[in-house]
Amino acid sequence: MQAQAKALLQQIKPTRAPRYDEDHGTSLWADAWLKLSRNRLALLGLLTITFMTVVAILTPWLAPYSYDAQDLNLGALPPSGAHWLGTDTLGRDLLTRIMYGGRVSLMVGFLATAVSLIIGVLWGTIAGYFGGRIDALMMRTVDVLYALPFMIFVILLMVVFGRNLVLLFLAIGAVEWLTMARIVRGQVTGLMKMEFIEAAISMGIPRSRIILRHLIPNVLGPVIVYTTLTIPQVMLLEAFLSFLGLGVQPPMSSWGLLMSTGVESMEEFPWLMIFPGLVLALTLFSLNFLGDGLRDALDPKSAKE
Amino acid sequence: MLTVEDLKTYFHTRAGIVRAVDGISFEVKAGETLGLVGESGSGKSVSGYSLLGLIPTPPGKIESGTALFGGVDLLKCTASELQSIRGKRIGMIFQDPMTCLNPFVTIGQQLMEPLFIHEKISVSNARIAALEALREVGILDGDRRMAQYPHEFSGGMRQRIMIAIALILKPELLIADEPTTALDVTMQAQILDLIRRLQRERGMAVIFVTHDLGIVAGLADEVMVMYAGKIVERARTRELFYAARHPYTRGLLASIPSNHSGGDLYNIPGLPPDLGKPLAGCAFGPRCSNKKDVCGMGQPTIKAVAPLHYSSCVRIQEGSL
Amino acid sequence: MKPENLLELQDVRTHFPLTKGTLFPRLTGHVKAVDGVTLDLKRGEVLGLVGESGCGKSTLGRTIIKLIRATSGQISLSHEAQGGVQMIFQDPYSSLNPRMTVFDTLAEPMLVNGFATRATVAVKVAELMHTVGLAPRFMRKYPHEFSGGQRQRIAIARALALKPRILIADEPVSALDVSIQAQILNLLASLRKRLGLSIIFISHDLSVIRHLSDRVAVMYLGKIVELGSTAEIFAKPQHPYTRALLSAIPLPDPDLERNRERVILAGDAPSPINPPSGCAFHPRCAYATFQCSQRQPVLARQGTSETRVACINL
Repeated sequence: MQAQAKALLQQIKPTRAPRYDEDHGTSLWADAWLKLSRNRLALLGLLTITFMTVVAILTPWLAPYSYDAQDLNLGALPPSGAHWLGTDTLGRDLLTRIMYGGRVSLMVGFLATAVSLIIGVLWGTIAGYFGGRIDALMMRTVDVLYALPFMIFVILLMVVFGRNLVLLFLAIGAVEWLTMARIVRGQVTGLMKMEFIEAAISMGIPRSRIILRHLIPNVLGPVIVYTTLTIPQVMLLEAFLSFLGLGVQPPMSSWGLLMSTGVESMEEFPWLMIFPGLVLALTLFSLNFLGDGLRDALDPKSAKE
Repeated sequence: MLTVEDLKTYFHTRAGIVRAVDGISFEVKAGETLGLVGESGSGKSVSGYSLLGLIPTPPGKIESGTALFGGVDLLKCTASELQSIRGKRIGMIFQDPMTCLNPFVTIGQQLMEPLFIHEKISVSNARIAALEALREVGILDGDRRMAQYPHEFSGGMRQRIMIAIALILKPELLIADEPTTALDVTMQAQILDLIRRLQRERGMAVIFVTHDLGIVAGLADEVMVMYAGKIVERARTRELFYAARHPYTRGLLASIPSNHSGGDLYNIPGLPPDLGKPLAGCAFGPRCSNKKDVCGMGQPTIKAVAPLHYSSCVRIQEGSL
Repeated sequence: MKPENLLELQDVRTHFPLTKGTLFPRLTGHVKAVDGVTLDLKRGEVLGLVGESGCGKSTLGRTIIKLIRATSGQISLSHEAQGGVQMIFQDPYSSLNPRMTVFDTLAEPMLVNGFATRATVAVKVAELMHTVGLAPRFMRKYPHEFSGGQRQRIAIARALALKPRILIADEPVSALDVSIQAQILNLLASLRKRLGLSIIFISHDLSVIRHLSDRVAVMYLGKIVELGSTAEIFAKPQHPYTRALLSAIPLPDPDLERNRERVILAGDAPSPINPPSGCAFHPRCAYATFQCSQRQPVLARQGTSETRVACINL
């Protein structure tokens, strides 16, 4: 009965009579943007992320102090006029350290996600496009990698090669691409059964063009959504690694590192944990709202207009 | 046995109110088959769903109307009252049996379930009733079949099972919503034959919702044609096919290839209206080749234009067409 | 190749291997979707290919346009039809790329195959749209902004982009409402006349086939069981399956519909994995004899009739 009711709802959705008044169509992308712009939470998320990114880029010019400027005489001070968010046990300005930490955290978030995006989309598209034995081989590889305890792999990598930011991106990206590959492969497999792909093949459209013009644009929706959800995951992973002491090396900071040191002195100097925690939480919420908004906006089934 | 008055079912969507069913009235006589014909989006399925309280709410809402069935108003029943009528006194079958059958439960259990819900019956008696129900729909090796799951049956067989489930409590009324649309023609012929036979044997009333005028021609005693949420014409079957009194029905009949050999098919120009927007005058007006000024004035109402023959065409009502 | 033919199929078979296991597949059998079809398409004719789901009619269509490779047999095109077979697909909602405008959809095949240059393509797209009855000013719109019937017109325009001599229409109207269906059927009929196309029209709907086709081929389980002129097949169907199929279409005429003789087939069509021995139709046939389960019937002329039938009892 549930399924029947759903099917019924699909049927009665308002018929979209062609709009003869305007000759230029609205693409699904334009439609999606329209829907997204009506979603206040998602828009707020987008604004927050943009703001944080801009601040992170401009930090060297904006930051009130240097990230490693210590003033041991100060010690840990609560927020004040000179130090808006207070100072840490070594007397370093917390606001500055959060700003510099954001550079690292956001960079890890974006770059590691980009790594996972590139590997995942390519892997998934190829597996889905060719199907058959190639698909089976590639996806079983993904399954095997899934089964490995990747945290241990990352930790080993860090221990053996030392703590290196680039390595950190690669290691985290290498963990995160698996899910992306599965999502893309599922989408492509579904699309390959669509008649417009058959039509393209039968009209002699070259393979590269089919992949670029017909497949990729149609999988981009779910990919974008999953990307916005991967970034917070990656940032949490970095925080976790830093927490374990395997992430960023002091005196550099990252949000994860700031939090892990903040936790140690939580009872005496609570602001050392609260402020980095707030910023991280705000970022994660923003990305999640944005992701949810994008998912709704890019779903052609959700009501338009 | 069923009298529906001024049924309105609207859907409140973000785009506005969609008048899916907009004030329809009809009755079903005991033992008769009523064919409900229309194209997609005409409101024919929503009408059937409304009667059984199967409209997803929200966004759907039954705005007004009564549906008297054996002295009970179906539209005012509580969920539990409807529950006891559905299945027991009114059976329903759908287009796609696969979405109605639970894939994880054996056919036998799904057949016996309505018996356990509506009647105090022992397991062994329920089993006998289920076997009998399967035999009636032409499944003879019921003993073996009852232990099987839906995926082990073909599309046609699943539809037979749906019919068996819908009819196991011997309802007085069966609502069939495009039950053969997903089937091949030879399988469709089998299912239609089955429905025809069961109806005759049990003296059951049937509301048969379909887009296929051919099915209605062979099955229905009376036919209603729906367009844009309204009934535009209603008549006894022969009368409707041989003396249609609405331009839409006429156009529909003329666009069927088999009523025609060679040459161009008649086609109704344009598209059905957007039900989310209020209509000025007759909904079919913009596509009608007989449109006159009078058609744009006010919403037409359905009126008798001949004995047992009702049409909502203003020009036919006036006698100018 | 006969001079009046544009296309000839000689004993075409399309079998799909059935395997178990994905990484190291084992062959467990074959789906014989198309199993020995011999057929020709004459210049300017519409050949109706009718059958129920799973009979192999769509696979045959896709084999002809080389979307699927034939397992064996010959598909030959006459000189004038070289390179010119295109297909119209069933579902206008899945046959158009939702992220491409009408312009892109129509321009792409012409540009890729050298039928137009960047400079001429806009004019050609406009011409194509005009041919199928769409106003060219909508060329910048996306598929979701059109109704089902209009989408099918776009799909037809795309099939015409490469100026084919032969069109394969795979159930082009079965997803559409009756009144819209008539518009598309009329369009196909007029295109055939205006452009001199030959069409293989695949459908499960005999009334649509009857309206449009000059000849009809009836398919059952990968084989053609009856092939002849539309007039003859509809007036005097010979194969028991054709008769059952014809009697199963509901006629929109109450008197005819209620008084006709019905042949109602029992059971389902058997699986093309393990087709029955002899004549594949024999388990459902009312006239089947022991011989029917032993001998494979061949498509042959019966008496004076031009129609060819695959039944040993005629």
